[in-house]
Amino acid sequence: MPEPQTRGSSTSKGPRRQRPSFPDTLRGRIALGAVLPALVLLGWWAGIRSGTAVVPTFSEVARVLLNPFDTPSDIYSRSLAFSTFITLMRLALGFGLGLMTALPLGLLAGRYRAIDRLLAPMVQIARPINPIVLLPIATVLFGLASLATLLYGGYESWRHDVFDQIQLAMILILWWGAFFPIFISTLHGVTSVRRSHLETLELMGASDAQIFRHVILPHTLSHSASGMRIGLGVAWLVLIAAEVYPGTRSGLGYMLCVACKTSDYEYTFAAIIVIGLVAWLTDAAIARFEHRVGHWQAVER
Amino acid sequence: MSASIVASGICKAFTSRSGVLVEALGGVSLMAQPGSLTCVLGPTGSGKSTLLRVIAGLEEADSGDARVEGKAPADLKGSIGYLTQQHTLLPWLRVRENIALPMRLRGARPAERQERARQIAVSLGLEDSLELYPYELSGGMQRRAAIGRLLAQDARYWLLDEPFANLDERTSHSLQQLLLGLVKEHGLTVIFVTHSVDEAAWLSDHIIVLSTGPGRIIEEFEPAIARPRRRLSEDYGSVMERIRKSLESVLGDE
Repeated sequence: MPEPQTRGSSTSKGPRRQRPSFPDTLRGRIALGAVLPALVLLGWWAGIRSGTAVVPTFSEVARVLLNPFDTPSDIYSRSLAFSTFITLMRLALGFGLGLMTALPLGLLAGRYRAIDRLLAPMVQIARPINPIVLLPIATVLFGLASLATLLYGGYESWRHDVFDQIQLAMILILWWGAFFPIFISTLHGVTSVRRSHLETLELMGASDAQIFRHVILPHTLSHSASGMRIGLGVAWLVLIAAEVYPGTRSGLGYMLCVACKTSDYEYTFAAIIVIGLVAWLTDAAIARFEHRVGHWQAVER
Repeated sequence: MSASIVASGICKAFTSRSGVLVEALGGVSLMAQPGSLTCVLGPTGSGKSTLLRVIAGLEEADSGDARVEGKAPADLKGSIGYLTQQHTLLPWLRVRENIALPMRLRGARPAERQERARQIAVSLGLEDSLELYPYELSGGMQRRAAIGRLLAQDARYWLLDEPFANLDERTSHSLQQLLLGLVKEHGLTVIFVTHSVDEAAWLSDHIIVLSTGPGRIIEEFEPAIARPRRRLSEDYGSVMERIRKSLESVLGDE
């Protein structure tokens, strides 16, 4: 009689799927996930009932959210849709640069000790510095230079509505926020590859490139994905704070801040809701990637 | 018949983290004949795994030499299959992809390697597990999948480091029978390391018993039991007894 096919299964046709417990069902996830937002809405409702001017009504905020392309007439800000677009552009560029530099450098540092020795002291010194405190320095260094300055030159840059809002100082600190978590997790990923996996491929006659492609990269990506989630969270925090900084003329952080100053709190609330939702979606996308490349990790641990 | 694998006077020492020199092997020599099963037996710390790693070319001997087909193991990459008791299957690949991996590395076309992987899986009773990940398999099926990958590698020399450890008796026996069949069918030359006296007596054409600290050969013999072997036979019992006595003498020396 052959041995059991799979873990926890008595069938010969693959693993028998167990009925998920309530928190893992779709209904359970929605129900449990809605509890805290419902409490926040309740608090919001209580604020409206108290009659304070700081808390806008649901309908005022809904009006802003349902008309995202309307330019606010009473505050100096662009439409909610444009502000969201600019924020996402900055995030994509800053986080993307962080990812594109941290991933290869982490892989190289993990693979070659000399590169690790070269980078390690600077990484350890720079890593604890909060990117927000670098913004004044970055602004002094780059002034108001933007992507448009690079692409079209200083005198013409102001004509380019979108690129002129992608300030280099902001990109630098976003890069700073995203780089270190991804770099560190990637480095750890490479150094934690099992020797037995490397040796197995070596004995199969695999080249260095094949070992990298089939062992080091897939193993490391699962670690990098965790770093990407942390890096993205840091980038969001840094970005919203940076958009409040002088020289900015759009973005969700800017809208939030300006609306506060002019007491147009429906825009503040709408911006907060959009930031939360977009950040949730971007995190969910990376979480999905993390599960895809690292599903085996939960069992290995 | 000339031996396929020859190890001569292998010595190997390691320096521990605290700087102490630990001698793992103190001049071990062995010869494995083509199509035979050689068992390296010994207590923990006798350098069995180290010996296997030196023969595989994964460790360099301090002195002595290991040759496979008269060549250095490093020159025969692809022909030597190496299997440890755990963590050899790549956990991010499905069973089908794990088995097909050696063919993929050789540049085989996808259709060709999928078909071969399927054939191997069928021959090993893994056809229903092809789309599963290793962590979804039982320990025994994981070993079968790892054996399948060795078959796909077309390795002629199999070095197995406690291949059936941590398995229940029934699964272990079934895999041992599978290994015997594969050796006969493919003419494999196998060196395996084990703690199990029964495994050694059941499988081996040639048994080497190592002492501890450093590992040296204290006994070497060919069990005189006809195949197919029967566990309840008198010959089998006497070979088991001989191995036990040998191991007891090692443990008694410690």
